[in-house]
Amino acid sequence: MISNVTAILSLIQYTALFSHLLPLVFFLLLKLHAKEKSLRVIFYYILYCIINESIGYYLHQIHADELFAFIFAFFTVAEFSFFCLFYNYVLPVSNPKKLIFPIWLSFIIFSIVDFFFLNKMEGFDSFTSGLQTIFIIGLCIYYLFVQIRGRNDLYIYSTSNFWIIITFLIYLSGTFFLYIMAETMIKSRVFKIQYVIINSIFNILKNMLLSIAMLMKSSQIKPELKKNYEWKDYNHAN
Amino acid sequence: MFFLQTSDNTLGIPYVLILGTIGMFVMAITLVSVVVFHQRRVIKFNKQLQKMEEEKQQMLLKASIRFQEEERQRIAADLHDDAGPLLATARLYLNENLIHQEPAVQLQSIFSAKQIIDDSIQLIRNISHSLMPPTLKNFGLESAIKDLFEKINGSGVINASARFHDNRERLKEEQELLVFRVTQELVTNIIKHSHAGFIHLTQNVQGNFSYFRIHHDGKGILQSDFEKFNYDSVGLGLKNIESRIKVLRGSISFDIDSTNTYYKVTIEVPRETVK
Repeated sequence: MISNVTAILSLIQYTALFSHLLPLVFFLLLKLHAKEKSLRVIFYYILYCIINESIGYYLHQIHADELFAFIFAFFTVAEFSFFCLFYNYVLPVSNPKKLIFPIWLSFIIFSIVDFFFLNKMEGFDSFTSGLQTIFIIGLCIYYLFVQIRGRNDLYIYSTSNFWIIITFLIYLSGTFFLYIMAETMIKSRVFKIQYVIINSIFNILKNMLLSIAMLMKSSQIKPELKKNYEWKDYNHAN
Repeated sequence: MFFLQTSDNTLGIPYVLILGTIGMFVMAITLVSVVVFHQRRVIKFNKQLQKMEEEKQQMLLKASIRFQEEERQRIAADLHDDAGPLLATARLYLNENLIHQEPAVQLQSIFSAKQIIDDSIQLIRNISHSLMPPTLKNFGLESAIKDLFEKINGSGVINASARFHDNRERLKEEQELLVFRVTQELVTNIIKHSHAGFIHLTQNVQGNFSYFRIHHDGKGILQSDFEKFNYDSVGLGLKNIESRIKVLRGSISFDIDSTNTYYKVTIEVPRETVK
């Protein structure tokens, strides 16, 4: 029975790991020559996820817990940095855009202080993960708000940026409770199973949504041909 | 956080985790759905507005083309029916047999031909004046409107008057012509449909805008009627007014005074003065 559970968990974990290849392949096939910097950021983010997952899996196998904790903490910082960079490219020039860099810098400083001095490199750091999730969800909601408010004739769901934003929104919403509980409950076996299941499911979902994003057309809106309503001919005719 | 920690100890399974995850997931999906549906509705609404605007533009364009065609037909008819026969008659008087006639008959024929040619010149002048009133060209909008109103007064049916408060600087020639045409159309409509006893036009300048207001005591139309006629297939004159106002980049409003006695039409025109 236990071996069956372990096999199922391993299958889910492997599926989650290999699901990262899906958006990567779509990017290489469809968006390799795309000029959008935002998509390139996501491409590097996926690459980083694959490397991180692989190293994490290896470290977990050899029981290098301290290094594993460091890798995990660094992943939180890197994920936030990738998101901020992506967000910087997709948000139109506005006052809130100027806040991205200070937010990112504050988060980095806080993460370093928290990792080395507050948490003292002792396992999973829920506080930083929770903070990162709240920041990213907030930024995603702001992006959606900007999209609603702006006058745009293009359907929001036909752009890759929208799918990337909802990827982060859904992925981080789904894993929010998981991460904030992980610090205190990681030693519970039931929690560990649930952690693997939930984390893997949301990773698969994330990669599926990112794949959809790669299938979408360019987010840049082509300027419409300006219709001539000046009635110059009529003016001359009179 | 304390609550989350105790849930494991009391229940054995962190239900909070499951419920929290499902809750957050549902909230995220709901948020995305709301955004998508809202944006779809907004785009649909904007497209409808755009379509209506395009239809209106199309209607105005058709009206202006129809107006031009009617104007051309009128000029063609005037030339064909009036100028043509006159000149043909003059030609008859001046035919080759004239040299074989008696000198008295010759003189009579030449005199008649001269009179017919004079009539033709007058007719062509009238056609030309109807296209571009000479008073407007030479003396400006104020004189042209006052001239028009004098002609209306001459009929004795309606009393028309105009007062220009600030006309020190003339508008550009094209603007003056358009304002004159709009005024002409409005006055024609008032005479034809409103059974008014008087028409009074006032002109004012405020900032960079000139305002022309026409009052009358007949049965007029309101803004809603004007907009309705603009979307109808009828009301060519009003569509012409609308299209001319568009060319002027101005605005027009139809209303009634607070005592419900006088109808008012106000035209706002951005000033482009002659330098």
